[in-house]
Amino acid sequence: MIDSPIVSIAHLVKNFGTFQAIKDVSLSVYPGDVYGFLGPNGAGKSTTMRCMLSLIHPDGGNIELFGKNIATERHAILSRIGCLIEKPDFYKYLSAYQNLAQFSRVSGNPSSKKAIMEMLDFVGLLERANDHVSGFSHGMRQRLGIAQTLLHDPDIIILDEPTTGLDPQGIIDMRNLILQLKNERKKTIILSSHHLSEVELICNRMVIINKGESILEGSVQDLLADQAQIMRIETAAKDQAKAMSALAPHSPVAINAVWIEIEIDKASIPAVHAHLVAEGVAVFAMESKRKLEDYFIKLLAA
Amino acid sequence: MIFLYSTYNELIKIALKPRSYLGLAAITALVGIILFALHVDGMSMISFVTSSFEQTLRFEGKVLNGNLVAFIILQMLIVHIPLLVALVTGDLVSGEAAMGTLRMLATKPISRASLLLSKFLAGGIYTLLIVVWLGILAVVVGRGWFGTGDMMVLNSDGLVILQEADIVWRYVGAFCVAFLALLSISSLSICLSCFSNNSIGPIVSTMAIILLFTIIGTLDVPVFDPIKPLLLTTHMAAWRSFFEDPVPWDVVRTSVYVLSGHIIAFISISIIAFTKKDITV
Repeated sequence: MIDSPIVSIAHLVKNFGTFQAIKDVSLSVYPGDVYGFLGPNGAGKSTTMRCMLSLIHPDGGNIELFGKNIATERHAILSRIGCLIEKPDFYKYLSAYQNLAQFSRVSGNPSSKKAIMEMLDFVGLLERANDHVSGFSHGMRQRLGIAQTLLHDPDIIILDEPTTGLDPQGIIDMRNLILQLKNERKKTIILSSHHLSEVELICNRMVIINKGESILEGSVQDLLADQAQIMRIETAAKDQAKAMSALAPHSPVAINAVWIEIEIDKASIPAVHAHLVAEGVAVFAMESKRKLEDYFIKLLAA
Repeated sequence: MIFLYSTYNELIKIALKPRSYLGLAAITALVGIILFALHVDGMSMISFVTSSFEQTLRFEGKVLNGNLVAFIILQMLIVHIPLLVALVTGDLVSGEAAMGTLRMLATKPISRASLLLSKFLAGGIYTLLIVVWLGILAVVVGRGWFGTGDMMVLNSDGLVILQEADIVWRYVGAFCVAFLALLSISSLSICLSCFSNNSIGPIVSTMAIILLFTIIGTLDVPVFDPIKPLLLTTHMAAWRSFFEDPVPWDVVRTSVYVLSGHIIAFISISIIAFTKKDITV
């Protein structure tokens, strides 16, 4: 049995004066999804998210969360959502604890001091609970933002570019946290990202938004499975001619002294590898170069 | 319930924001300076005013007493207090927008109208605190320092002498009307704050509007006569009516109506604008 969507957006439109920020965005998010909004800068990802949270009033279309319309049942919807839109901004003159207490009080279900401290512990900020946020690094604010998002135990978590500005370790920690929220807490997570590989690594479903329109939506696995990919095959220089012959009828798309790149579908890779070995080609490495980036760029170009 | 929590939040933010204490500190310093100046040189100032009456009247007792001192302080400071109020209330919405916290607040399950009304209420409480502090410094400290006695007030109709026993209720009434006037300034600055995404704009705009209305109110040009009774600045000095004898209650009543009307109008405009506002910052 297929679940009904927990988030459903149909033909969303938003204009800012004469500028049409959202022309036609439609998407569906199902319970338990880690759903990625993918698109270049200015595509309309953040505007779509803001419309979902009633920060921005749409000019057309329909937005439903939990089967309820955001325009008419805002209170019921927002009490089940945790979100971090753009950068995490807090009251700089308040401590981490005081900031969480502030947002908790207006979340409909104020958290106890114990619960706030536990959440600060969960995001690794317990020792800084009483420090003013003005002294926090971007990474710490991001973690505090996540704590603010999770404090009232929402069903849906919306994160707008959650890894922006984080250092490499911070990015890995954030990815792990998102997967932990999905796997252990069974949350539905919607995120946007510039890091396309991040969507590929974390999300099970995604939508590609470009110039205010949703141009493709579906399972990340399905969308990528059908795509031919570039395979780089590393061989010894002396084996290059032999390898070229063994790879026929795949003609190289790029070549240098120690590697050959061919376009190949996923299912053919084992046979090609076996054939190269059978022909006596020393294969040092086979690396798939087809990533979401290539797919994404192709789509946008189209 | 969420409205009360939100109001509590707003009061905490006001209490922990260093800027909030600027107004209280400024009032303390200004009143301190005025009290010191009156203590040192107050009698010569009083003599300058009373000299024109000395041929027909004989003044006995302590003319420069706490009651008169409090009146002088109110007269001098009531013009400047709006800036101190706007400094905090003008920042309540736009300051949050500039900081980015408005975006976070607006995604919480509290209606925008409730959020805004809680800011109005917190701004009103802060304004009350400013007025009470001014009252304590002017009346309580003034009376403690200079003693009490009958009060001499010079107004456009001439010299009014108020009996010592007839003064306290007048101050209570004067401070209530002064509070209402400052509440209208507070409402104006919060209203302007709804249209801005930076902290300074609404504060400067509030002062510019007060200045403009004051200038229109003082210009003796007939074309402005019909609008003068509607300007809130015209009614900001209504507290002075309590020191006339008898108190012109119709004047006080009109001022209360006009100031209340302004407050209701500013709150209504704010709620409509804030509810429709796209939060893009």
